[in-house]
Amino acid sequence: MALVSGPGRGGSGGGHTLPEELHLYIDKHVHYIQTLDTRKDEYEYWLTEHLRLNGLYWGLTALHLLGRPDVLKREEVLDFVFSCMHEDGGFGAAPGHDAHMLYTASAVQILATLDAFGDLETRVCGGRMRIGQFIASLQDRKTGTIHGDKYGEPDTRFIACAFMALSLLCLLPIINVPLSIRYIQSCANPDGGYGSSPGAESHSGQIFACLSALSIANALRTVNTDRLAGWLSERQITSGPGVGGLNGRPEKKEDVCYSWWVLSSLAMLSRRHWVDGEALKRFILSCQDEVNGGISDRPGDMVDVFHTVFGVAGLSLLGYEGLEEVDPVYCMPRSITRRILGK
Amino acid sequence: MLEKMAKYSNAEEWADIVPIPQDDGPGQPLAAIAYSDDYVEAMSYLRAVMANNEMSERALHLTEDIIRMNPAHYTVWLYRSRILFATSSSLPAEITWLNTIALKYQKNYQIWHHRHTIVDALNSCTGEQDFLSQMFELDMKNYHVWSYRQWLVKRFDLWEGKGELEAVESILERDVRNNSAWNHRWYLVFGRGESCFEDKERVRREVDYAKEAIHLAPQNQSPWNYIRGLIRQTKGPAALSLASFKQFASEFASLDDPDNVTSSHALDLLAEILAEREGDAADAAKALDLLAKKYDPIRENYWKYRKSLLVGQGGVKAAA
Repeated sequence: MALVSGPGRGGSGGGHTLPEELHLYIDKHVHYIQTLDTRKDEYEYWLTEHLRLNGLYWGLTALHLLGRPDVLKREEVLDFVFSCMHEDGGFGAAPGHDAHMLYTASAVQILATLDAFGDLETRVCGGRMRIGQFIASLQDRKTGTIHGDKYGEPDTRFIACAFMALSLLCLLPIINVPLSIRYIQSCANPDGGYGSSPGAESHSGQIFACLSALSIANALRTVNTDRLAGWLSERQITSGPGVGGLNGRPEKKEDVCYSWWVLSSLAMLSRRHWVDGEALKRFILSCQDEVNGGISDRPGDMVDVFHTVFGVAGLSLLGYEGLEEVDPVYCMPRSITRRILGK
Repeated sequence: MLEKMAKYSNAEEWADIVPIPQDDGPGQPLAAIAYSDDYVEAMSYLRAVMANNEMSERALHLTEDIIRMNPAHYTVWLYRSRILFATSSSLPAEITWLNTIALKYQKNYQIWHHRHTIVDALNSCTGEQDFLSQMFELDMKNYHVWSYRQWLVKRFDLWEGKGELEAVESILERDVRNNSAWNHRWYLVFGRGESCFEDKERVRREVDYAKEAIHLAPQNQSPWNYIRGLIRQTKGPAALSLASFKQFASEFASLDDPDNVTSSHALDLLAEILAEREGDAADAAKALDLLAKKYDPIRENYWKYRKSLLVGQGGVKAAA
């Protein structure tokens, strides 16, 4: 999936003047995602090669949430996913890129979404277990942290990636789950939030990652729910042009992607109603390119597939009519996680 | 195309290498990648030298060339660091080069991981703080830089007397709302262990610092969070009670003067203080109503929830 941004900008329709008339341009967004791969002659296309498998997951998930799951050809998607797989069971961002936790999680999410675990076994002998072992090899058995790759830095994001992928593969017990939970607890800050490592500043993206992992491990009881949810609800911008939008840290600008990181976190804590859903809805809708489709980080900026999926997923969490329900833990269609996890 | 693909294929130095073209796997319209010619050529030589696991000066230059074109290509960085160590290249020279790349590409994970690896191997952080100041000139809230800075503090024992606290204070003097700087301050002052929370002198200094910052900008969330953190974490001889902040909070939010609240955070803290005593529950409810209706209505549901926890106000007080 190409990650070229633009060419359109969000908010081109002047949505701020007529907020009551804003709505989601579903067909335009579908078309926008569909045509991303026709833009391979653009300079930015290869500059974003290191994100290609993530991009495919973002585009595919957006299409499913928009109610158009069959737009991308299943076999073509699978061909690409498997071409990123390494002998050791990990996936790189694109063919020839080193295996990394971030892309391995995206690969598993794509396979799950396409009901392709059977294809995995057919195409790669013992594929499921191989992926599991790649992930397990990245867990530090002393601290519980999970590395991004065999050289790599630890980051709470990778714990979420590992837990998501392993649970979808029904392989979570092959790593030491309680140890990773303790590591996450060591990243909790006095404000109730979590950062990328112990002591690092609370950040909504990292909070999503930690809560996702804790939800999967059934360990949300370790969270100071009221304090964290209070901090998360303070991420909503109360005045100015970005009103209703959410930011990732205090005194930072609003950004559509935090509609997902913050709102899904609140949903996991059963506190989604602590932000003003209508105001947030208006903000996300005002970031659409109403002509060519796609959603940007904030009105006036270029649209891209990253902000498109998280904008759509945020609207889904807000119960926007016509969208498929999203799972706040996995950022995947809820019908799919229900099928796989049986709950 | 052929004339353009000249940088490597026409160079004597690279004559022995047979470039390996991109293999996108079988039939992949989704992934077929169209590159610029220079990049296509450099990458085809990279694949060839990586296939041989070549550890050489020319391979190092090749990675530099590719990183300049595409610094987010994490595989190239990993290869580069292996070459650096295998060929015993100059690590200080690597840092100098890295500085230019870091200043140019600010939102990049690989650069900081690479720096971490090199500085750790150098076993010296000389010049690092100065460079980080340069980075902060571009963006004082860059998450990568602050995370790296924390690692630096721990790795090289910069907790005290090494200019860190001064650096934080200078950033806060320029922007008292910089939450990253507040977080780093907390890390420096309390990050070394639980005993820091029992140090009365240290805690008093921090309370004074946060109060002073609040006077400068009462609606700034960071120092209020800092004070709440202090109330929760301090202990033993340095323990702070919630009630001891009643007078301070009242300076910015008084129930006797509900039209002139200058900080919703003060009102929030006041509500929490009042909620501690059953006799004050009615006043706590007043404060929470003010927040829900007047000072922070976007979070109405949150304030209603807080009110529901008050004893004798239609709710049951939850355990803290």
